[in-house]
Order: sequence, then C-alpha cells, then structure tokens
Amino acid sequence: MENEKEKTGPVQGAGAPGEEPKIGVYLCHCGVNIAGVISMDKLDAYAKTLPNVVKVVQYKFMCSDLGQNLIKDDIKNGVVNRVIVAACSPRMHEPTFRKTLRSAGMNQFLFEQANIREHNTWVHMRQPEKALEVAKDHVRIAVAKASNLEPLDVMKVKVAPVALVIGAGVAGINVAKDLANQNFQVHLVEKTPTIGGHMAQLDKTFPTMDCSACIITPEMSAVGQHPKINIINYAEVTDITGYVGNFHVTINKKPHYVDQSKCNSCGGCVDVCPVITENEFDEGMKDRKAIYIPFPQAIPNKYTIDMDHCIQCGLCKEVCEPHAIDFDDKPKKIELDVGTIIASTGFDAYDPTDYTPYGFGRFENVITGLQMERELSSFGPTMGKPVRPSDGKAPHSMAFIQCVGSRNCQVGMHPYCSRVCCMYAMKQARQYKEKHPEAEIYMLYMDIRAFGKGYEEFYEIASREYEIQFIRGRASEIYENPANKNVIIRAEDTLLKRPVEIEVEMVVLSVGLEPREDVQTISRMLGVAQTGDGFLMEAHPKLRPVDTLSDGIFIAGCVQGPKDIPDAVAQAKGAASAAASLMARGEVEIEPYFSVINNGLCSKCLSCIDLCPYGAISFEKLEHEVKINEALCKGCGTCAAACPCSAISQNHFRERQIFAMIDTAIPVANGK
Amino acid sequence: MTVASNINRDYDLFLGCVGPNRFPQIEAATMRVFEKLDIKLHDMNGASCCPAPGVFRSFDIPTWLALAARNITIAELDKRDVAVMCNGCFGTLLEANHIMRTEPDKRDATNEVLAKVKREFQGTVKIRHIIDILYNDVGVQALADRVVNPLRGIKAAVHYGCHLLKPTATRPWGKNERPRFLDELVEATGADSVDYRDKYMCCGAGGGVRSVVKDISLDFTREKLQNMKEAGVDCVIDACPFCHLQFDLGQTEIKQIFGIEFNIPVIYYTQLLALSWGISPYDIGLLPTADKPAGTPPYISTKPFMDKVLANMK
Repeated sequence: MENEKEKTGPVQGAGAPGEEPKIGVYLCHCGVNIAGVISMDKLDAYAKTLPNVVKVVQYKFMCSDLGQNLIKDDIKNGVVNRVIVAACSPRMHEPTFRKTLRSAGMNQFLFEQANIREHNTWVHMRQPEKALEVAKDHVRIAVAKASNLEPLDVMKVKVAPVALVIGAGVAGINVAKDLANQNFQVHLVEKTPTIGGHMAQLDKTFPTMDCSACIITPEMSAVGQHPKINIINYAEVTDITGYVGNFHVTINKKPHYVDQSKCNSCGGCVDVCPVITENEFDEGMKDRKAIYIPFPQAIPNKYTIDMDHCIQCGLCKEVCEPHAIDFDDKPKKIELDVGTIIASTGFDAYDPTDYTPYGFGRFENVITGLQMERELSSFGPTMGKPVRPSDGKAPHSMAFIQCVGSRNCQVGMHPYCSRVCCMYAMKQARQYKEKHPEAEIYMLYMDIRAFGKGYEEFYEIASREYEIQFIRGRASEIYENPANKNVIIRAEDTLLKRPVEIEVEMVVLSVGLEPREDVQTISRMLGVAQTGDGFLMEAHPKLRPVDTLSDGIFIAGCVQGPKDIPDAVAQAKGAASAAASLMARGEVEIEPYFSVINNGLCSKCLSCIDLCPYGAISFEKLEHEVKINEALCKGCGTCAAACPCSAISQNHFRERQIFAMIDTAIPVANGK
Repeated sequence: MTVASNINRDYDLFLGCVGPNRFPQIEAATMRVFEKLDIKLHDMNGASCCPAPGVFRSFDIPTWLALAARNITIAELDKRDVAVMCNGCFGTLLEANHIMRTEPDKRDATNEVLAKVKREFQGTVKIRHIIDILYNDVGVQALADRVVNPLRGIKAAVHYGCHLLKPTATRPWGKNERPRFLDELVEATGADSVDYRDKYMCCGAGGGVRSVVKDISLDFTREKLQNMKEAGVDCVIDACPFCHLQFDLGQTEIKQIFGIEFNIPVIYYTQLLALSWGISPYDIGLLPTADKPAGTPPYISTKPFMDKVLANMK
C-alpha cells in the first residue's frame, strides 16, 4: 500500500536531543478536585526533591489560558525542557498541553501527564494522607519517564474526500445528505432492500404529531437522487482495513434476484407470486409475497426476491415484461477506498417474548409498541385503525406497559432507560383516543421521562385533556381471561400503595431499544469498543459524542445509545461535520507511537508478523528486512514485547522509558 | 438414552431440618431415586440447621453466614459437592457460598469465627438442589426412559417455591420468569402439569412468615390451594419440605382457621418419580404400611391420588 505520510519539520528549540533534562512539574489544583483532598504544598515540596526537576509550580486550573501561559513562559525563557502536568486523566487534556508545548516552540512529545485526579483524589477522597502518598508516586513515576523522553516527529496522512455511511436510517440519511451537500462523495450502505430504517415504520412523531412518513420519505428520495450519494442497499460491510483517511472497505451486496436496472416496479410479479410470508416491515402483522418491496415508498423502489421463502416456481419470470427476474443472481463483492467512516447502524426493538410474565406470544391481545405503530399507520396492516388481534375489533380499553426490557436488572433485560418509550406510548395513546374518545386508556409507568423540548407539555395534555389514566407502578404480570381473551394486568399502584388488577381488551408493551444483534461484529470490524450496555462507545461522553477512539470513524444515532429522532438527527449532523472537517482539510496528523525495528538486531524469526493485529509488519524478501508500516501500526506494542532479540521498540514507550517508571514505582525491584 | 457418564456421582446429602424431622418419606424417596441413578448421596456428619434464610438471616446476617459456612466446610473436607432437598437450605447454602467466594471482607470475618472451631472456608464445593441435578445433569429424557408405570391422567399442580428460583443471578436456571423445568420433570413421569392461577406464588411459609404470623401465611396457602382446586388437580407436586409442610399440615390448619377443606394430596417430586419408576408406594410413604398413628405425616391422605393412579393403570 502506498503510504501517504509525510513528516513535520525538524525538531527545534527546547528539548532537542543531547540536552540535559530540565523538568518543570506543574501541579494543578483542579479547583477543589485535587487540592481539596491532598496538601498541594507537601506535594510541591516533594516534587522539588526529585532528580532533574528544576521548577515546581502550582495553579488552580492548569488547563486555563493563564495556567498554560505559566508553562509557555518557562519554556520560552529556557527554564524547562521537559514538562509534567500533574492533574486529570490525559484522555481529555493531553492534547491541550501538547498544543501548549508546540506553541512555545517545544517538541510536544516531551510532555508527561500524571493523573492524580481520576487515579487518586477522586477514588481516595476519604483517605487524604494516603492519597498524598499516591500522588507523590504518580509524580515520581512521571519524572522518571520525562527524564527519558525523546522528541518525536508528527506524521501527516492524506484523507480521501470520500465517506462511507453504514446504515441508512434517519441518522445515516442525514449524515449522507450533509456530507454530500458539502460535495464529498458518500457511499451509503444499507442492510435491507430499502433505506429509511425504523423511522419509516412509524406513523406520527412526538411531540409535534407530524407524520413520520411525510418527513422521512422526502429525505429518502432526496438521498436517492443526490448525485454525490451512492446507495448500496441490501448489502453488508464485511471488512475494513487501513487507517484514518485511507480505509479500504469490502462490501457484500446480496443478490436481489431481480435486475435492479431493468425492474420498472410495475408489481406484476407480486400478483402472481403464490408464496405468502411474514412482512418484517409490518412487524409480522401483515403478510407479503416472496417477491416484494418492503413498503410503497421504499427507496430504491425495486423488487427483491426473498430466497429463504421463494419456491422458484418461475411465475414472476413469466409475467415480468422487462425480463428483470434472474434466479442466477449472485452476491457481489464491492471494494471501496474511503477517507472516513460513519456508523449509524441503529437499534433493535426489545423482543418481549423472553419476558414471560407479560405473555407476549402467549396471549393474542398483547402487542408491542412497534406493532401498535404499524396498526396506527395509514399504510399499515389495519390502515390506521388499530384493532385487537383476537377478534379484529377496536378495543374499548387499552393499557400501555412501560419499561419493557428497560430499567430492569433481571437476566436478559437492560438496566438503562430507553428514552423514547414514555413519549411514544403517550403519543400512541393520544392517537387512539382521538379515534376512540370513549376508550379507557391506562398507562403503567415507573417514572414519566418527558425531557425533550415540548415533551412535558405533551404529557400534560395527555393526562389532562385526553384523560389517559397514569398509574405509577411496574406491571408485575399479565394473565388472560380465556372466555373473552381480555388481558388482566397485575401491578402495584405505588402512589396509592395498593395492589391493582386492571382488565383491558388489549395491552401494548412499550418495548425499549437495545443494541443491534450484530453490534459485536460491527464493533470488532470498526475497532470501536462497546460500553457496558452493548452500544458503541463514543470518544468522550460530553465533548466528543460523535467521535470514536478509532481516528476517522464516527458514530451517529442509536448505535451509540437509545435516542429519539431529534437527537439522532442532531448527532448525525455532528458526525457529518466531524467527518467533513477531516476531509476538508485533506490531511490529518497521527500520533507517532508506531513501533520501529532495528534490522541489525533482527534475527528474521518473523514471529511479530503473525502477532500484529493490524497487519502492519511485513518481510521484504529482496531487502531481507522486516518493515513496519508506520501508518498501519496502532502502537499496541505486542511486537515489541514479543521480539526475542529486542529488535523492536515502540516510540514513546521504549524499554528504558518503561523500566525507568517501573524501577521508581517499585523501589524494591531496584534494590533500594 | 442413558445418563451421561461424565456427571458427578458423589454428593454430600444435606438433610436440613423439616425433611428428616417431619417428612422422612421425602428422604426415603430421594435416596431410592438416586440409588437407581447410581449417584451416591453420602451422609454429612456434623451438619446443623442450614440455618433457615427467613428466620436467621433476617435477624443477623453474620451469624447466619457463619453457621452456613460451617456446614459448607464439612463438604469441603469430604471433597464432595452438596446435594440439597430443601429450597430453604438451597437458598441459604448457595447464597452463603456465593458471598463467601465473592466478598473477601465477609469471608475473612467469617473465617475468623470458624477458626474458633478449627475450620476454614475454602470455596471448593458447589451447592446443588436435587432438582438441579436431575434436570441439568441427568436430564428429563433419561428420567422418562426409566418410567415403568406412566402416571397417565394424573393432573399435577406444580409448586416451585421461591428459593429454588430467586435471586436469579445465583440460580442455575438462567432466565427465570415462568420457568418450565419442574413441569418438564413432572411430565417425564407421564403425569400432566396443569396450569393454574398464580402458579409461581409463594406457599406462604417462607421468610419467617409461618413462624411469626401463621394465619397470614396460611391465607397465602389457602389462595394457592383454591387456585389449584379450580384447575381440578389431583395433587400438589413440590420440591421443598417446608413448602410441603405448609401445603400438607397447612390444610389441616386451614380447616381449623378458615373452615375450608381441600384434601389435595401433597407429594414431593422424588416420590412421584419413584412411583413412576415402579418403586413400591409403601417404601416412599405414598401408602401407609400399618395403621398410621395420629399426628404423623402425611396429614392429608394420599389415598385418593393412589386410587386414581391404580385405576388408570388398569
């Protein structure tokens, strides 16, 4: 692979090789976060006794401009040539202080951060004396490392002005649209035959009650027609290699068995297809044929044959005038080179079958919120007039059970709040009440979480004007009256402190959102970790909500956690902007933490090549040398640790740097 | 299908209190079933009360933990896992074992107490309910294969009991709402497990309720028996001597307090299984060998149940 990297200019100013280390230790109070626990004066006095330390400074907020200026002045005046900031975790402010060093004309890698907040005063706040000792250890270890630091050159790589968006729900569509409108080429990959995601399944949206289809379908069609957007539907990304700016992506496009360029969507094939199966789009509440378009407004609006159910009778082939049917269609492999990747793969609705006390799947008149949404939809299975499944009649009473699958610590459930269920249940209740004002509607909830703009007002109206009866208490179980198929809910009304039993004609389970079934595959492929709840992890929960710790890869929408449509769109626009800022600049700096090999020491055992998880090491036969691709190397250090000849070392984590830290951390090991 | 050969075949049998003192037929049936399965249940010398999770743990956790841990150390020295017949003993020993393994502070404090009797908790044995062994190790099919007298036409009301199921995390059943394992075990004998209202409700005895407010505890039992009666069952099948006591002796007490008579025979699971395997009903307390003295179990005659079994066999 051609390596597009280039190096920044020569190392200049303080910290050049060969100079004796002159270490400045900058102690941050972090308001009271650190100084409120330990004695900064004692730490200050201790730091002054450490080798190579020429100056110790305390300040309330080292990350502020004034704090940074203290460091800059000392560098410019030649007082220090190594900088240690003892403060918070480097995850947030290491880049800040590196910039400080750079702006003062010093190599930014001659910096070390001692984490005496997260790793010390926050966890040991009740043991200030011991915490002071831990802080001393952190500072001493940082000094040992800083004494051995060496300047490194930053590398720059080119960023291809092409983005890959995985998942074409409302988030993915917005990412694609925003990027394409800035003239970047976008490849939008979607697993199902149509774009639109879950939002296309919804009827109306809270709190404004505007029609979901009316707002998503124009977006879908705009994306479909955009010259800069290439929709790759019915396809899955199978492999991603490379690095920021230069990803190589492999996509498997599943066979439609209908030539998409010939199909004119006349629908003649559907009339003759004899196979009837469940329509996923209608949540199993309506049938479809084996040859199908998921819903009338699907984009692309072309037919697909579901080979799992097709019997290959060939009737469709006979009637298809454009001769589009092709039973020999094969999966296609598509390979793309892209600069940035945005994952917007969305969520799965919780499947309540497993939660047996609610009897979903056992009792006919217990349905899920998503099924209710389809029933309410004007192009849904009941044409917008909800009925109960057992007799097809409109129920006179209905109950919504909240937090199904959410806020529950039982095995197989989710402890988190799914954030949308209170609102969608109230919305559905209001919609039903508009059609059937006489209907009795109950909502069994734990807490009503109406947190968004206009949401609390929506709740007010639901309870006051729509007379929906809110009962605070989680339903414990549901049983069925076998005579009339009514369902009886048992719960505790925790406001009145008494058990209640409510008989209704239909129950809607407000199921929560959970990570997609295949989220682990996505996580592994992208190299983006999952949080404890299974969703993908953002780089920083507050300040970098759309970035990931893999450079050039961003996340948007429910793949990061449950969210409603406004939040998903906001995050999509954020992710588009983050990806655009990389691509617009056209190049990006990457940290020079790669491994380097001394081929003079190397015995060519090649064990490192197999161990490298990133395929960054190769053996060049002609030169008889092992080479490490600096851009592919992520600096994990596996090769350096494994090398039997110590021929490999990793920048910024060299043996002498690490051992200096260990020696001072454990004085015994050093014989002291 | 035979029983897998790689299962554990040696256990220390923890008897508990209610079983040996009130319902010896439960132990008799269990011993006979396990003998047929070639799984040895060894005596556990020096075992005390588990102690009961409701009565003891509710008052003083460290004492409860120390007594339970002492019982576990007996099995540790025997180098055998523990088999338990009672849900209460199961709850106590399983949870004590879990606490002692996962909470070092409590383990250290408890081991200090145990040191006084020259014992130390090691964390080397597992606590298994016999239902767990039968279902998860032996397997429903292997049990069904041994059936010689299928109990066809018998409508059984399965009662699981609370400590067998909850808290879920430490129990061997995974997802645990509306479980089916005991129903499957009952169906292996040829009997029908009948659905009845509030099947998973407490028998009323546990949690110290029977000891403290007996009439309230019996009101629970009455409600359950009422629901069983409405489903038209021939017997209650349980997996716990204390639930057994509550249903069996409890019916006579309900008659006194509420004036309601149910007369539903109460049968422990291994009694039912043994019967279907052709073990004599006289050996497992389902039919009396001589005139039964007053005040000895069972308090509700199992004769109607046996009559139906015999009638169906003809």
